[in-house]
Amino acid sequence: MIQPQTHLNVADNSGARELMCIRIIGASNRRYAHIGDVIIAVIKEAVPNMPLERSEVVRAVVVRTCKELKRDNGMIIRYDDNAAVVIDQERNPKGTRIFGAIARELRQLHFTKIVSLAPEVL
Amino acid sequence: MEIKSALLLLPNSSLPFTTSSGPLFSVHRRHLNPPEAQKLLPLPATKLNSWPVDHNGGGYVSSSLQMGRSLKHQLSISPGPSVFSPMALGSDTSVDTDDMFDDLFKKYGKVVFRSSDQKSATADIDDDAESLSFAVAAAKVASEVKAGDIRVLFVKPLVYWTRFFIIATAFSRPQIDAIGTKIRDMAEKQFGRVAAGDSKPNSWTLLDFGDVVVHIFLPPQRAFYNLEEFYGNATLIELPFES
Repeated sequence: MIQPQTHLNVADNSGARELMCIRIIGASNRRYAHIGDVIIAVIKEAVPNMPLERSEVVRAVVVRTCKELKRDNGMIIRYDDNAAVVIDQERNPKGTRIFGAIARELRQLHFTKIVSLAPEVL
Repeated sequence: MEIKSALLLLPNSSLPFTTSSGPLFSVHRRHLNPPEAQKLLPLPATKLNSWPVDHNGGGYVSSSLQMGRSLKHQLSISPGPSVFSPMALGSDTSVDTDDMFDDLFKKYGKVVFRSSDQKSATADIDDDAESLSFAVAAAKVASEVKAGDIRVLFVKPLVYWTRFFIIATAFSRPQIDAIGTKIRDMAEKQFGRVAAGDSKPNSWTLLDFGDVVVHIFLPPQRAFYNLEEFYGNATLIELPFES
C-alpha cells in the first residue's frame, strides 16, 4: 500500500537510495500502489558520484511491499520493506542489477526486464 | 564422544578396543569421516537411552560390543543412507519433537507437499526440445536480418521462469523493429506463439514467448546491462548457421 509521502527503499544499483512516492500512475485519484504499479517518486537520498541525484523526480515500479500480496492459489507474500526499481519513460531499468527477491507478478505486468535482472524470483 | 565410540565399533576395525584412543581416532578417521559415522548410526531410541556416557565404567566395553553387533547387523540389512538425524543423537529423545519429525520423514520422505501439476521427465525433455528448436529458429531469423553477436543461452538450470534466452545486438531502431517483427511473424506462423513484451522498438526490446525470451539491444545498452555476464553460468547453445 504505497501512497504519496511513502518512503521506499531502492532495489537496484541506479544510485538512488531512498525514494518518496509523490504520485501513482493509473486512474485519476488512485489511492494506493501495489507490487507492479508505476509511481512517480522523488529521490530523498542518493549515492554520491552517481548519475541520479537527490531531489530528482523519477519513475519507479514497486517491487516489494509490506502489505501482503495474495495469489489465486492461496499463497500470501509479504516482504519486510517497501522497495522500488527506478525506470525510465520506456520502462527500462536505470540500474543494471536488481537486489533482493521479487515477485513473479512483475512478469505478467510486462516488467520482464526487471525479472531477468533479478537474482531471485518468488 | 559418541562419534569416537561409534568409530571404535566399526565392523572394519581390526584394532582392539581401548578407551585411551587419541591416535586410534586418527587411524579410524581414514576409514570413515565423522559425518559419515553419524549417518551410519541408525539406532533406535531405546538404545539411545542406554548409551554409555561414563567411559571409565566397567560396563562400557560389553555394552559397546553389543552395540557393535547391532550396528553390524543393521549395516548388513540396509546399506543405503539412513534418514536418522545426527542432531537427535545427543538430545533427550523423550521430549524432543525433532525425533517425531524424523519418524515422519522416515515414513513419508522429506517432501511433504508436491503440487499435482508436475510433469513427467520425458514430457519435460520434449518441451525442452521444442523450446530449443524454436529458439534456434528465432536466432536464425535474427541472423537473416543481420543482427550481430547472437547468443542462445540455456538458462533453465538458473531460473525457473524460462528456458532459453536469445541475446542479440541490432545497430539501429529500425533494425530492432525489423528483427522483432520477423521473429513475431515466424513464431505465429510456424509455432503458433504470441509474444508479450515491448511492441514498440526500444533500446532494449524484449520479446517474451514464455519459455523463450528474446532480448534485442542496441550496442551501448548491451554493454551497459551485460546480461551475458549475469547469466555467465548458463550453457551456450551452438548455432548451426554460424559455423
